[in-house]
Amino acid sequence: MVAIQTTVNGEAHELQLDGHESAVDVIREQLGLTGTKLVCAGGVCGACTVQIDGTPAVGCLTPATALRDREVTTVEGLGTDGDLHPVQRAFMAHDGLQCGYCTPGFVVDAATFVDRWQREHGTSEPDRHTIADALAGHLCRCGAYEGIYRAVAAACRGDFASETGVSLRVDGRAKVTGDAVYTADVYPDDALEAVIVRSPIAAGTVGPISSDSAEHLVDLLDDDRRVRYAGQPIAAVAAPTLIEARQLAADLSVRIEPAPFVIDPDDALASDAPLVYESRAAKKTAPNAAEGPMAPARWQGNLRGPNPTPWLGTLAKRRVKKARSQGAKGHVALHFETAVQLHSSFEPHATVADWSDPDRLRVWTSTQALDHVAHELADHFGVEPGKIDVVSDFIGGGFGSKLSVTPDMTAAIELSRRARKPVRLVLSRAEELTATGNRPGSRTDVDMVVSDDGDLDAMVLDGQSLTGVSINSPYTALATLVYGRSPRLARDSDIVANAPPGTPFRGPGGPTYAWALEQSVDQAAHQIGMDPIDLRRRWDGNDKRQALYDWASNLPVWSDRPATGTQTGRYQRGVGIASGNWLYMVDPDTEVEVSVCHGRLLVRNATQDMGTGSKTVLARAVAGVFDVPVADVDVEIGRAGSRALHGPTSGGSRTTASIHSTAIEAAEKLKAEVGVDLGSAEGASATATRGGDHSMRPVPITFANLQLGRGFSAAVHVSEVEVDTLTGKTRVVSVHGGLAIGVPHARELAISQCEGSIIQGIGLALYENQILDPHSGVTLTSNLEDYRIPQLGDTPEITIHFHEPGWEHVPGGGVGLGEVATISPAASVGNAIFNATGHRPTTLPVRPDRLLEGLR
Amino acid sequence: MIQFPDSYDTIEVPAGGVVRSGGTDLQQRLRAENARPTIVDLTGVDGFAGISSSPDGVRIGGGTTMAAVAAELDASHPALAIATGSLATPQVRAYGTIAGNLTQHTRCWYYRHPEMSCFKSGGDSCPARTGRHLYGVVFDRGECVHPHPSTIAMALLCYETTLILADGSSKTMDELLGDGNDPTRDHLLADGDVIAAVHVEPGWTDERGAYFRSISRFEAEWPLVEAVVRARVDDGVIAEVALAVGGVATVPLRMTAAEAILVSSELTDETIAAAAAACTEGANPLPETGYKVDLVLATVTETLERLRAAGE
Repeated sequence: MVAIQTTVNGEAHELQLDGHESAVDVIREQLGLTGTKLVCAGGVCGACTVQIDGTPAVGCLTPATALRDREVTTVEGLGTDGDLHPVQRAFMAHDGLQCGYCTPGFVVDAATFVDRWQREHGTSEPDRHTIADALAGHLCRCGAYEGIYRAVAAACRGDFASETGVSLRVDGRAKVTGDAVYTADVYPDDALEAVIVRSPIAAGTVGPISSDSAEHLVDLLDDDRRVRYAGQPIAAVAAPTLIEARQLAADLSVRIEPAPFVIDPDDALASDAPLVYESRAAKKTAPNAAEGPMAPARWQGNLRGPNPTPWLGTLAKRRVKKARSQGAKGHVALHFETAVQLHSSFEPHATVADWSDPDRLRVWTSTQALDHVAHELADHFGVEPGKIDVVSDFIGGGFGSKLSVTPDMTAAIELSRRARKPVRLVLSRAEELTATGNRPGSRTDVDMVVSDDGDLDAMVLDGQSLTGVSINSPYTALATLVYGRSPRLARDSDIVANAPPGTPFRGPGGPTYAWALEQSVDQAAHQIGMDPIDLRRRWDGNDKRQALYDWASNLPVWSDRPATGTQTGRYQRGVGIASGNWLYMVDPDTEVEVSVCHGRLLVRNATQDMGTGSKTVLARAVAGVFDVPVADVDVEIGRAGSRALHGPTSGGSRTTASIHSTAIEAAEKLKAEVGVDLGSAEGASATATRGGDHSMRPVPITFANLQLGRGFSAAVHVSEVEVDTLTGKTRVVSVHGGLAIGVPHARELAISQCEGSIIQGIGLALYENQILDPHSGVTLTSNLEDYRIPQLGDTPEITIHFHEPGWEHVPGGGVGLGEVATISPAASVGNAIFNATGHRPTTLPVRPDRLLEGLR
Repeated sequence: MIQFPDSYDTIEVPAGGVVRSGGTDLQQRLRAENARPTIVDLTGVDGFAGISSSPDGVRIGGGTTMAAVAAELDASHPALAIATGSLATPQVRAYGTIAGNLTQHTRCWYYRHPEMSCFKSGGDSCPARTGRHLYGVVFDRGECVHPHPSTIAMALLCYETTLILADGSSKTMDELLGDGNDPTRDHLLADGDVIAAVHVEPGWTDERGAYFRSISRFEAEWPLVEAVVRARVDDGVIAEVALAVGGVATVPLRMTAAEAILVSSELTDETIAAAAAACTEGANPLPETGYKVDLVLATVTETLERLRAAGE
């Protein structure tokens, strides 16, 4: 051990070090400064950035010994004398954040940039390239990049030099100061650290698990003892430190009898392929890749399906056959492929469980389905109501990967039960990028028949989802819902393989269907010589999307677009359009309570805010009723258990439409009861339940806490790209996003979320690609260098437009947007590349190698 | 265990121990491998960091940060400075050192994956060759198929460069890198060898430099292909030139055939095209790296165009 002296945030410390530690671990664990986050552990994402003698450093790659005799500044010490740094105020005021997990690293670095910029350039404003260059060592998975540009530019201009910036989010200040406590930041005294032992091989049968030294061991396998993908959880162990726990895991005696396996989808379809699920009983254990219930389907080997969604399907097939045999001008026949996309939430799946008191189970977990998970855990562990509390105060991103009970939860709780100590289980980045789910890849064949004058005569789509060990990822069915009622047939299948499980991912199936459908529409327009917007106008029965077409066709970038395939230079510019369609969902069981507590308004229920803004939506709703500043309303969500009121899961874009009007109703009840003088109303409260919509017809489908409401939400994206035909690199220059989701209840936050969905769409379109080793099934892209998500510098100029009418039957007049905003961006980029180059990119992502081949 | 030697004489690396400079590669691997070897931390060695100039050239201490190289050699050695200033991220350049950059381990996803074994991690095969090697070599020279990771090594190939080791001996860049045939090695230094300094010849009068890396995103991404060039131009004619390409082989490659085309020529589009084409000679791509032949052409073309622009 070596002792070093260091000064952190102005305070002198002596640290005892082994020498191998990285600065981030010591800062978080020894000094308790958890604002500094560990995300990629590879120096790529910058979430752990601190200043050492004023120079930004990544804490994950900086040896802790390098802090010797240095002045260290973390996010907690960024401001002076209790005041925030202007950059922190700018990030709050310009919404340069969503989930907030990358925010401390961004602001610590941006603060040095802004200070340096102002010394050298006064209060002039740097251009976006300069900002991106300075902050190239940071990533944000939510895609808050537009807000980050705005914030940094404003801080450089000196906008926040003296004034106190107003946060657009009620939790903005906690996020820019590092005060926000995420599950991964919870370090109870005397806690054990746990790790999951995972299968190193793609298939096999696991024998009994034992260990001489694993005092705290829990088996995570089902009764059949089978593992079906490399990375599947087998067991979990706990020890006083993470290093010891990892060593225990490595030393654990696990005998796995290897079994034949299959990774490649074509191999999986071969008649002699090893079966991923060998029996009817085994098939029943396959995880569900979708949010909704599972329709029954036939299996043929590793193929599940096809499940047809027909509307005059036989006629559709006949028309396609005829058009093909005649070589009809309006017959489009294309094959599309999409890659597996990883959620890459910056806060990994994490659970801290404390069952040291047998009469009280306390759980902190990073989930987007808090109330649901709390009930499931109570059931699973047989805990009586009132004896379990589950907390998810801040969630560092979810994107659909945190909708259910996951092995980190059950393992941490079980280990805590046995050890009678708190247990922390935080996944590593490699685990997060391997085994926590993904958006399945796909292969789609489209046949579309369009008459010479632009009528859609028929459409047949065959979709195969590459779901890994999961099943049920239909997506071409969604394509049948968009354009008109002409004959059509969609057939969805899953190809299972010994690969990590598909799960819901923001708009499950949405970007996947749109990549195929929207490019096929674009191709049809091209083949018959018609404007792609005019063609969609002819077919589209959605009034709201018709309004968006009017908006899009008037954009200068659209009217000025080049004729397809006419450019010859190195850099070719193009513009593409795509539309998106999504369901409207709501949780009618949502309850919200508004009360007077300590002389202030308090709004609460058991939902959560993963950066989507639900805390702000609630606070603004209540503040509006009482006509008080938003800052005068306290919000208590992220807690489920004894006192909890049912809160919606943040999935299916249901949260805002469920909580907003319910909060207003509860606030109005309270106001009717006590008036606006809160001083004499201490303890008063009122509760409201969401219920159905105005004049709601019987809904076709109802699940637990989820109703499918009336109407489809709609989006249109217009993207402009510049293709470097020499290097094969595509740069998205600008994107205009039009959304018909009614009234956005927290407008600036809604814009942030729409911007982020465009950035995630650009990732899907150009960069993101899970890659497995074909011989072992091991995930090779299990780090943020090889799994490439968009950077600040990849952000186009983004404009968001809301078309608000059309949702008058919904209380409050607006619905959720997290998913509809994410359906069409990638497809619009694909169509823009076609417009620029005359080459249609059908396989995602459109990497330089693919584009160079396509242009050759 | 950790040791902090304060002079080159006192550096003793025990068996299984590792030397650490900035730590920007080592710390990542230690965490991934859950390893706790004895660390010999060089940051306290007297004279390890810093750049000094003499008529013979510049001496860059092994512990000099990449940010310092990029900033201080901007005028005298622009090719080295621009290339160094373009790699990784600002935070990594601020703490990563030149010695560490030259001796970092390969960035191959198989090598770095704890469940995988390869020549470099003690195994007896290259799983990337028979598996996935999208970012692999296009000049296939040995059994390992992942490109050498050091942008600075590529740049230093363009200069008379001498590596001075802690024991006072010296090595050339060729002696550091070898020919790339040994799949078990990232470099040919013996265990315990420490690069105390990098000595680089003086820049040419009015030297120009240019660098470009082909990547899919904005910045901060390992190059698919990268190229660097330094040149002295007299009256529009190239008098002296050195050109190297990275991301293409298990060692960075000096492109002498292209240099022969460039020297005594003007930087016309035709010359640039001919030089770029010369850089692809001998390419023997793997199944997944055929695109890199096109990218070598593209990257060298862009680099030479930037060189031309640097003189305008």
